[in-house]
Amino acid sequence: MSKYPVACMGKFLLLILFACLSLGAARPEIKLEIRDHLFLPSELVVPANTKIKLIVYNRDPTPEEFESYELNREKVIMGGQKAIIFIGPLKPGEYPFFGEFNPKTAQGKIIAE
Amino acid sequence: MFIDRTLMFPLLPTKAWLAPLTLAAAVTVTPLVAHADGQVVDRVYDPYVQPLEKELEWRTSAIPGKDKTWGGEQIHHLGLGRSFSDRWFGEVYLIGARDSERDLKLEAIELEAKYQLTEQGEYAADWGLLFELEHEREENVWEAAATLISSREWGRWTGTANLAAIYEWGDDFKNEWESELRMQARYRWLPHFEPGVEFYAGQDYRGIGPIIRGEKKLPKASKLMWELGVIQGLTSDSPDQTFRLLLEYEFF
Repeated sequence: MSKYPVACMGKFLLLILFACLSLGAARPEIKLEIRDHLFLPSELVVPANTKIKLIVYNRDPTPEEFESYELNREKVIMGGQKAIIFIGPLKPGEYPFFGEFNPKTAQGKIIAE
Repeated sequence: MFIDRTLMFPLLPTKAWLAPLTLAAAVTVTPLVAHADGQVVDRVYDPYVQPLEKELEWRTSAIPGKDKTWGGEQIHHLGLGRSFSDRWFGEVYLIGARDSERDLKLEAIELEAKYQLTEQGEYAADWGLLFELEHEREENVWEAAATLISSREWGRWTGTANLAAIYEWGDDFKNEWESELRMQARYRWLPHFEPGVEFYAGQDYRGIGPIIRGEKKLPKASKLMWELGVIQGLTSDSPDQTFRLLLEYEFF
């Protein structure tokens, strides 16, 4: 066995990578705020079967982690900053999320319909 | 030109049942790709990095029995890591080994850096890079590796592939290039119980077997994650079974 299969694989994977990066189509954007350790709004209605760009603004000075097992997402958002979280396409239903650093207050859900 | 179908799965349609089928297809075509020796069963990395995150990790892979080739070999990694930004994560490992004739002792030190290339869910697949540098103390052998990490979801299934290019060099050592392929298909059933299957390929090794993974949330946003797997060797040059266990404590 030579090293050439690895080189071919590398080129092939880079082609796939560039192809993927060029597929970034415009998606519905939804804004969410973290303020006083609460998610505002706490309920978001999104279209089902569509990929969504969720922009989360953390208005608190402390970091927060957006977490949802149902959405398979976790993302730390530093204080005073924003983060982009891509979710879906989701089947119709409810998908809870919470703030890992303040789980008692920072709770919400996404409703796909 | 050789094309490895196993790593095309990030572009396939969103069908949950494709994940295990893709892994099965991988088993049949990867002998043409992988080229590495040593103990290949280790862990399958995901491409994600969280800012502020720190972790303490212990993982081991062990070959039971006392046959002459493998001799009950165990390799232990003890690591401490932290993220340096929302893209970079670094970790330092102490690597120990033992077998039926030798007690456990420190054999190598490894530095590791992971870079998250794309946001999770932004494209058809999520991508990352892993860079590793390892020094075996007694034999003065160095090993550098660059690994391309790819992951994507099919409903509750998550498929992850690691393709590594490795270069080894040393004083009394034949310098060589190697490659490894590690793949995992995992069903996200419950946070504390996610069954899956893994496939590993190196030059002389092919192995496949079941794994379970889970995590338990702990106070102060910390959590304990575990993985347990039994990988069955597929070739005459592979040990019959390799057990692997990983415990990872993540905290902020």
